[in-house]
Amino acid sequence: MSLRIQIILLILLAIGLAVIINMVRKRDLELKYVLAWLFADIVLVFLVLFPGMIRSISRLLGIYSPMNMIFFLGFLLSLVIIFTLTVALSKVTANVRRMSQTIALLHKELQELQAEYKTEREQESDRRTSWDGSK
Amino acid sequence: MKKLVIIPAYNESGSILRTVQNIRNNAPSYDIIVINDSSKDDTLQICQDHGIPVLDLPVNLGIGGAVQTGFFYAFRYGYDIAVQMDGDGQHDAAYLEKMEETLLRENADMVIGSRFIEKKGFQSSGMRRVGIRLFTVLSGVLFGKPILDATSGMRMCSRRTIELFVKDYPRDYPEPETVCRLLRKKYKVIEVPVIMKERESGESSISLNKSVYYMIKVTLAIIIERLR
Repeated sequence: MSLRIQIILLILLAIGLAVIINMVRKRDLELKYVLAWLFADIVLVFLVLFPGMIRSISRLLGIYSPMNMIFFLGFLLSLVIIFTLTVALSKVTANVRRMSQTIALLHKELQELQAEYKTEREQESDRRTSWDGSK
Repeated sequence: MKKLVIIPAYNESGSILRTVQNIRNNAPSYDIIVINDSSKDDTLQICQDHGIPVLDLPVNLGIGGAVQTGFFYAFRYGYDIAVQMDGDGQHDAAYLEKMEETLLRENADMVIGSRFIEKKGFQSSGMRRVGIRLFTVLSGVLFGKPILDATSGMRMCSRRTIELFVKDYPRDYPEPETVCRLLRKKYKVIEVPVIMKERESGESSISLNKSVYYMIKVTLAIIIERLR
C-alpha cells in the first residue's frame, strides 16, 4: 500500500467517522444501530495504518490472498449489519401495529365521548330555553 | 355473557352492510365491531352512516393485524366470546348459535366453522383445497389433531383464547398457524359443519400468484410453531 492511498483512505475514514458521529449528535441516527458501523470504521483505520496486519490475519485464517480476506470480512460484516436491521425492523413493525390498534380504540372512545358531550350540551340548552319560555 | 362479532374489512363497501344485517337478524345477542383496515373505498363512511360500531386503523395492518385489533377490543371491554367473521358475506351468522352452544357445552377454546365436515356449499377452488388438505395432514402429524378446515375465517374464541391472541397474532394468513398454536398449548379446538357461500364482492386476500408464497409461509409457520 502506497503512502498516498493510505492517506486518502485515512481521510475518507475520518470523514465517515465524523459524519456518523455528527448524525448521532443531531439525533438523526440511533447510537444503538450505529455501533456496528463505528466498529467497522475503526477496524479499517487500523488496517490502513498497519497493512502488515492484513497479511498476518489472512495467513492466520488460511486465506491465500490478503485481498480475498478483505472482501470476505467486509462481506461478513455487511451481513451482520443487514441482519441487525432486519431484527430492528421486526420490532418496529410490532410496535407500529400495537400503536395503530391503540389509536383505533382510543379514537372510537373519543368519538363516543364527544357524542355524549354534545347530547348533554343540547339537553342543557333545551332546558334553558324552556325556562326562558316559562318566564 | 358479552359476545362480540369481529369483522375485519378491507375494501368491503359492497358487502359490509349485508354482512352486518345478516348478523343483526340471525344473532341479535352479539355486539358487532367492524375493523376498517385503512380501506381505500368508503367502507368507513358506510359503517358510520349506518351506526355500525367501527374501529378505524390509521395504517393498513393486514388481515392478522386487523383481526387482532378486534381481539384487543374484546379484551379491553371484557367480552367472554369473540367470533371472527369475514366482511365479504361468505359466512352465515345463522351458525353462530350452534357454534356458541358447542363452545359452552364442550367448554372449548375455539370452535371453527368448517366447510369440509359435511362437504356442502362453496368448497373453495381445486388448488386451494389441496393446500387445505396439506394443513389437515400437518396439524394431524405435528399436533395430533387433524383440522379439516384450518383456513376457515369463521372462528369462535373463548376468553382464554382472546387473551392469547391479544399477546401475539401473525400478520398475514393467520388462521392455520393460530389453530396450531392452540393445539400446541392443549387448548380445546372443535370443528362444526357450516355451509359457506362464494364471496359476493371484493377480492380475496389471497390472489392466485400469491398462493405459492402463502403455502410456503404458512407451512413454515406451522413447523416453527411445533418448535416453540
